[in-house]
Amino acid sequence: MKLEYILFGFGILLCLSGVGYLAAEYVKYLSDIGKMGSLLLAVGMFAFMGKYFESLGW
Amino acid sequence: MATRRRNLFLYLALACFIGIIAIFIGDGYLGVYDALYITAGEREETIEPDFWQREDWVWSTGVNQGERVFFRYEVDNRQFSRYSGNVEVSVWRMQERVLNLASQPIAIAPFDKGQVEWIIDTTELKPGDILSEQSYQFSVIITREAIERKVILHVNPLTLPKPPVRVS
Repeated sequence: MKLEYILFGFGILLCLSGVGYLAAEYVKYLSDIGKMGSLLLAVGMFAFMGKYFESLGW
Repeated sequence: MATRRRNLFLYLALACFIGIIAIFIGDGYLGVYDALYITAGEREETIEPDFWQREDWVWSTGVNQGERVFFRYEVDNRQFSRYSGNVEVSVWRMQERVLNLASQPIAIAPFDKGQVEWIIDTTELKPGDILSEQSYQFSVIITREAIERKVILHVNPLTLPKPPVRVS
């Protein structure tokens, strides 16, 4: 497996871990608008990542 | 062209990720948060800042008659500017103010904490019409600017009520 893909996976895991930690610690303090905004951005993030990997041919 | 379009998706995903982080920091972390620490007997209860954001914003705790209850109200200023305010604490029973416990101005530096402490002696607050075998309640109301926090103290009786005598 190419080193590039391993680093990709590593980076994605770390990013998701960081977001998960922030979510566990601070999501309870978010306002309703903040929660909605975070949800929409999370959906958008995974959608764009999916389009990116689709364009890579995965 | 295809590479440019592919990188655009990556940049948009990255922008969404940064947006999520910004919302967590801006809306979830930054601000002014308060916590209350209640020590009754040998146990300490902590009322976290997120408790007050729920619909059920009244905390209830129990204490024995004759005990003293120690309160520590902590204000965490997670802002880049200085926070100034006034904290007022009072005891209420049956919609009537019984006692003013504290009225203290606070000035907190950016990303620092300030606190107000007070003690409630249940002996001093015992209503005259209450027997030692009876329990009673009173409310401790903390007011900081437009924010109000309420804690209900349930004072347990000194002795248990005597069981009813059976008449044969």
